[in-house]
Amino acid sequence: MDFNPTPRQQELVERAREFTREWISPNAARYDRSGEFPRDICREAFKRGFMNPHVPKEYGGAAEAVVDHCMVMEELATGCSGIATAIDGNGLSQYPVILAGTDAQKRRFLAPMTEELTFSAYAVTEPEAGSDVSRVRTTAAKVGNDYVLNGVKWWITNGSVASWYFVLARTGETLTGFIVPADSPGIVRGPKEVNLGQHASNTVRVTLEDVKVPEAFRLGDEGKGFDIAMATFNHTRPGVAAGANGITKAALNIALSYAKRRRTFDKKLISNQGISFKLAEMMTRLDAARFLTYKAAWLFDQGIDNAREAAQAKWFAADVAMSAAIECAQVLGGYGYTQEMPAEKLIRDAKIYQIYEGATEIQKMIIVSKLLRMKEVH
Amino acid sequence: MFEDLRRLVGRIADAFKRRFYGPTFRCPVCHLVLAAIDADGNGLLVCPVCGAVLEIESVYGHVVPVVLDMEIHRPQPKLRLHPLATHLPIGLLPFALLGAVLLAGASLARQLGLGGMLGAVSRRAPLLADATLVLLVVAVGFSLATLASGLWDWNFRYRRRSYRQIRVKIAFAIGFLVLGAGAIALHLSGAVFSATDGLMRLGSPAGVVAACAYLGALFADMVVAATLGHIGGTLVFGR
Repeated sequence: MDFNPTPRQQELVERAREFTREWISPNAARYDRSGEFPRDICREAFKRGFMNPHVPKEYGGAAEAVVDHCMVMEELATGCSGIATAIDGNGLSQYPVILAGTDAQKRRFLAPMTEELTFSAYAVTEPEAGSDVSRVRTTAAKVGNDYVLNGVKWWITNGSVASWYFVLARTGETLTGFIVPADSPGIVRGPKEVNLGQHASNTVRVTLEDVKVPEAFRLGDEGKGFDIAMATFNHTRPGVAAGANGITKAALNIALSYAKRRRTFDKKLISNQGISFKLAEMMTRLDAARFLTYKAAWLFDQGIDNAREAAQAKWFAADVAMSAAIECAQVLGGYGYTQEMPAEKLIRDAKIYQIYEGATEIQKMIIVSKLLRMKEVH
Repeated sequence: MFEDLRRLVGRIADAFKRRFYGPTFRCPVCHLVLAAIDADGNGLLVCPVCGAVLEIESVYGHVVPVVLDMEIHRPQPKLRLHPLATHLPIGLLPFALLGAVLLAGASLARQLGLGGMLGAVSRRAPLLADATLVLLVVAVGFSLATLASGLWDWNFRYRRRSYRQIRVKIAFAIGFLVLGAGAIALHLSGAVFSATDGLMRLGSPAGVVAACAYLGALFADMVVAATLGHIGGTLVFGR
């Protein structure tokens, strides 16, 4: 067992940290207020190789290990988790193609993304189907050599800027995955949703009205869509947990910096145990969340089933981020409640980690489903 | 259309601030946007509007200010000359620009054979040209007093502390003077306006170039004056 990052990982983290300090953190408040999509920062991230890290080498990507990706994501999210989500959003839609796509599909949809800045989106959630993906009502009717898709996809990250979507649709009784180019006639993109946090992340409604999709764009066999969509999460949830860890790290750093300098009752704020213990708890929880995250990521990289560990990491890291953001605001006192300090943004941003890519309750259901198959826990 | 223009101006202003201010943060007391690089060697910065004494630390690129004290007893000149003095140049320059634009329109109409259009302006062109010049001379001339009173304010009220806003204001004030002086020189040179009818000399290429330079200098001066007024306003009233 070795907890030391390799020299390559160390170098990767240093590069990500430099990028965060230079590009993300200084612009976090601006994009949070404007709600604009941070295309200029994504362009720089693309140039520096922080986008599309999972694309296999034969299609122009870096085939980065999930552990390495988690380290980078933690750094980026320490600057702003909304901007980090915009940068990393492609991964969620790319993985179904990596997992189940044909060589032709990968060449057509993945390879161009490594050559120029483009985006893609994972369009599975619907207004009546969130955590319960099996309730998806979008239909895909076979007409000749094409499928005709109709339905409404909801809260689609990168939905306005994507050049293609991974769409889950109902083919009869089962669900099937499709790659749908965004310029297909019948695609209607809704306005950006005004969410509580992560304002830099682009979340929209995407409506499909008689959208024709060639059979060649179907991912895997008919009826395999649900498995593909779920298997994707084993790959992406450690990255989401790493994003939550980034928020925890930002909260801890801000609270620590403030508590070491602010004076109350003729002494430094950190001299009060009530405050310093908060920092000790935040640090410990951050390390615990990191270990869960890296273990889930490492298992995936080894080709071992990590569904339980990914769920554990995502749930725990999200809860830690939420509590750390709240404690950070508490350490800052009244200033923690104002928009002029970064703490309130952390609270708004952290909440979504308990909801997206499977709510906390879903993660616990996954863990229990794995426990039910165990006779003993070792 | 108006919203697009507002966004464009906002983007230009943001790019300008990023270029000249570097990392910024808002004063946690009065919300004024401050530049982190204005902090002294000990990381301290006094907010020019509310007097909050801030200790600045950058954490992962996030600027975290801590309020250490409030500078309550600040030098308050009995007569705030600078805010008063700014109004004359900023108030007169738009009228000088309006006169120049009307004269340019009348000159262009005459050149294109559309004598009827702006006929009233054409008939009073010499008077309008003189009035434009007077407005311009008063606006630019008085801006010397504005600059001097601004430096006086910086010296006493702001204790010669380094603030990006004040640096930009000094640079822009010099730019205002140079552009205004250039426009006055062009006006007086006779290269722009005809001595006989008071209209712009658009009949020759040299005249067109001179007229464009004159109008360009006036428009640029207007943008500079508006920017100076905006920055000055934030220093008086906060965000």
